[in-house]
Amino acid sequence: MDAGGGLGFKLTCVCLSGYVNQNPVKIHLTKGHNIRISGIPKREIISIGDPEKVALKPVEFRGIKPKLMVKEHDDVKLGQPLFFDKKNPDVSFASPGCGTVSAIHYGPKRIIKYIEITLKGEDSVQHGSVRFHDIGSVNRADVITRILSGGLWPLLKQRPFNMIADPNVAPRAIFISGYNSAPLTVDLDLALSEQTGPFQAGLNVLRRLTDGDVHLTVSEGTVSETLVNADGVRIHYVNGPHPAGNVGIHIHHIDPLNPGETIWTISAQHVVTLGTFFTTGEYDPSTIVTVGGPSVKNPIHIKGRSGMQISEMLKDRLQDGTSRIVSGDVLTGTEMEASGFMGYYDSTVSVIPDSDDREFLGLLRPGTSDSRYSLTNAFLSSNSDSYDFTTQTSGSERPMVPIGTWEHVLPMDIFPNALYRAILAEDFDEMEGLGLLECDEEDFALCSFSCPSKIDVGAVIRKGLDMMEKEG
Amino acid sequence: MKFLHSMINKVRPTFEDGGSMEKFYPIFEATESFLFSTAEKTKSGPHIRDSIDIKRVMILVVVALIPCYIFGAINIGIQSGIAHGVERSVFQNFIFGMGFIFPIIAVTFITGGIWEVLFAVTRKHDIYEGFLVTCTLIPLVMPPTIPLWQVSLATTFGIVIGKEIFGGVGYNIFNPALVARAFIFFSHPTHISGEKVWVSAPDGFSGATALAVPAVIENANAVTLLNSVSQFDFSWWNMVMGTIPGSIGETNKILILIGALFLIVTKIASWRIMAGALIGLTGTAILTNIMAPLSSNTMLTLPAHYHLVMGGFMFGVVFMATEPVTSAHTNRGRWIYGILIGSLTVIIRSINPAYPEGTMLAILLMNAFAPLIDYFVIQAHMKARRLRYAK
Repeated sequence: MDAGGGLGFKLTCVCLSGYVNQNPVKIHLTKGHNIRISGIPKREIISIGDPEKVALKPVEFRGIKPKLMVKEHDDVKLGQPLFFDKKNPDVSFASPGCGTVSAIHYGPKRIIKYIEITLKGEDSVQHGSVRFHDIGSVNRADVITRILSGGLWPLLKQRPFNMIADPNVAPRAIFISGYNSAPLTVDLDLALSEQTGPFQAGLNVLRRLTDGDVHLTVSEGTVSETLVNADGVRIHYVNGPHPAGNVGIHIHHIDPLNPGETIWTISAQHVVTLGTFFTTGEYDPSTIVTVGGPSVKNPIHIKGRSGMQISEMLKDRLQDGTSRIVSGDVLTGTEMEASGFMGYYDSTVSVIPDSDDREFLGLLRPGTSDSRYSLTNAFLSSNSDSYDFTTQTSGSERPMVPIGTWEHVLPMDIFPNALYRAILAEDFDEMEGLGLLECDEEDFALCSFSCPSKIDVGAVIRKGLDMMEKEG
Repeated sequence: MKFLHSMINKVRPTFEDGGSMEKFYPIFEATESFLFSTAEKTKSGPHIRDSIDIKRVMILVVVALIPCYIFGAINIGIQSGIAHGVERSVFQNFIFGMGFIFPIIAVTFITGGIWEVLFAVTRKHDIYEGFLVTCTLIPLVMPPTIPLWQVSLATTFGIVIGKEIFGGVGYNIFNPALVARAFIFFSHPTHISGEKVWVSAPDGFSGATALAVPAVIENANAVTLLNSVSQFDFSWWNMVMGTIPGSIGETNKILILIGALFLIVTKIASWRIMAGALIGLTGTAILTNIMAPLSSNTMLTLPAHYHLVMGGFMFGVVFMATEPVTSAHTNRGRWIYGILIGSLTVIIRSINPAYPEGTMLAILLMNAFAPLIDYFVIQAHMKARRLRYAK
C-alpha cells in the first residue's frame, strides 16, 4: 500500500515539475483532400456585439432523453441548467445566456427542438473557482462534480459512437485536435492566440480526468504558442490534407481504440471554456466562429457566443440569390434557417448557393474549372483554386461502382467498401472486425463528397454505429 | 435551350406519379438528364459534391473505346482487301469496315436498350448508364462477320444473365460484355472461332488469327512459325500496329495503350489490375518458355512480349478486367486479381490450344473468384486487427 502510494505520488511530482513530451508521433498523411471552396474566412477576428437571442438545441445531442428544467417566460441566468438527460440525471445543460426563455419549440412526437433565450442582463451562476496552480491538486471526483454541476459536461464527448461522455467511465486517454482541417473552419492558431492561460488551465483539468495521456495533435505548420508550448500533454504533429485535423484520425494513428475501451475528446475551443470555468467559476459562452462560403461577402472570423442566432452573423454578409445556410462545415454541418441557431459543437457557418441552373448537354462537355470540381481527372480542367460550390449533387444516386474514390480520401487502415457492405448486411461481427468502432461519420464525409455514385457513406457509417450501440 | 427545357417541363406531369405515362418515367428521366444535368440537390451533409458521376465515368470509357472502333473499321477494310486482292484508301477502308460495324452497333444498342428500359421500368429505377459501356464493348469483341441475330441473342444473354438477374449494375458478378461473347463462343463456336470468321473474304479463304498459328503445330518454335506465315504479317511490330485478323476492336495495341493511359489518368480504371495482369502474363510466359523443351507444345515457346500483343489480352485487361464492379474491390485484391488474369491467360492459351483466346476465359474465371480474393484480403485485415486488440 505504502509503496504504491509513494510511487504514485512521486510520479505525480515528476509530471508536475517537468512533463516530458514522450514519443511525439508525427503523422504524415497523403490520403484526403483539402476542398478548395471559395469564401475562405479572413484571418482576422471581428466583434459584432451581443446577439439578441441564443438557443440550446436538445435534438442535436444524440442519444439523450432531455427533461426540461425551465418553462417558457422563465428568467434564467447564464450557466443555469435548462434541461437534463433522463438517462443520466447528473448531466445537465447550461444556459448559454442570461435573460428570458422566450420560446420552446417542439418537433414531431414532442421532441424538444430548441429552447430560445432572449438575452437581458449579465447575471450568471457562480460556482467555486480554483486557482490556476491548484487545478492539479483537485481530485478526479471533484473535477467531475464541478463540470457536471456547471452544466458543461456535454463539452466532453466519447469514442466510440461520438456522443456525450459517460461520467461514470474512466477514459483510457483524452484527445484534443489543435487543427481544424475541414473547409472554412476556424483557424485555431488565430482563435487561441490570446487564450494561452485558459487553454492551459483546461488542459490541466483534463489531465485530472484520465489516468492515461492527454493527447494534443497540432498541424506541423502551427505557429501558435498556445498550442506548441502546451504543458503536461503529449503533443503530436500531423501534416496532410483534410481529414488530417479530425480527432478520429489522430486516435487511429496514435493510439487506436480497441473494443471495450473508451476515449474522450473535446474541441480545442471548448478546452478554453473548461479552463475559464475552473479559474473563474463562471461559464463563458464566448467563442470564435467563422462565416464563409461562396455566398458570403467578406468571409471572416467573428467573436461570437455559443448557440447564437445565425442571422446576426450574416447581417449584410449574404450575396444575392437563394442560398443554403449550414451550421457547421459544408461536409458535416446541418442545414439551418437564417433565423436558426448555431449548433453546440459548431464553430462555423457556411453558406452555399442553392442553384437551380441546369447545363445543356453537360454530360458531353469537356468541363472546365469554372463549372467542374473533381478529385478525378474526368474533366478537361477541374482544379480551380477557389471554386463556387453549390448544393447540386451533379449526378443521381447509383449502386456502388468502386473506382477507388473512397480509399483515396480516407487516411485510415479501414476498408471502406467492405465496411459499407457489412453495415448494409447488418453483419455485426464483420462490422466490428473491420474496425467500425474506430470510425465516425465525419471521417467518411469526404468519401461521400467524392463518390461518383453519390452514396452518402457517412450516413451509412452512422447507421452502423447506431446499430452497434443498440446491440451493446 | 429554354424552349427545350420548358417543353420538357410541360410533358413532365404525364410521366410523374398519376400521369398517364407514369410507367415510363425512367425513359423521361434518362432523356431529361441526358439533355440537362440533373437538378438534384444534396439533402444533408456533405452539402457539396464532386462533379464526377457515373454517367461521366461511363461516357469516358466509351470515349476511350472510340479509337478502337475507328481503327477496327479501317482494319476490316484492309484485311478484306488482302483477301480479295484489292487496294483501297484508308477512308475507303473505313467506310467499308463501317458497313460491317454499324449494323452490329445498331443491333447491340437496340437490344441492350430495350432490356435496360424494360428492367428499369419494372424495377422502377432510373435507366443506368452502365449499358452504354456494355453495348459499346460487345461489338468490339465480335468478329466482323458475326451474324446479326447472334449479336442480338448474345447481347440479350449478356445483359439479362450477365447483369440483370443479379440486380443490375453494381451487383453483377460477371462482365456482361464478356458473358455475351462467351455465350456465342460456347453456343455457336463456328461463328466466333476458327479460320473463317475474322476476315470478310471469298469462300474458301482461310484467315486464322495469330494465336491459332502456334496452337496447331507441334514441336516448333512459335516465333519462327509466326514469321513464316506469308498470308499475313505476324511480325511482333505489325501485331502491335494491328493490321491483322482479329475481333473488331482488339487488334491495334497502340490505341488500346492510349485508352489505358486515358483511363488511368482520369482515375477511372485501376492501374493495379493492369500492372498485375502484365506481371502475371510475363512471369507465366517465362515459366512456360523454361518448360518448353519438355513438351511438344509449340505454344509454350511463345515469349511474353508476343503473348502481350496477340489476341485480346490487352483489350480485355484494359477495358474488361478493370470493370470496377466485377473485379476485386480491395487494392491488394486488385493486384492478385490482375496477376491471376495474366497468368491464367497464358496457361489457357498454352495448355488448351482449343481455346486460343484465353483472356476472355481468364477474366470470366477471375470475375467469379474476385469476391473470394477480397474475402481472403479482408479476413487477413480483420485478423491483423484482432491481433492488435489482443495485445
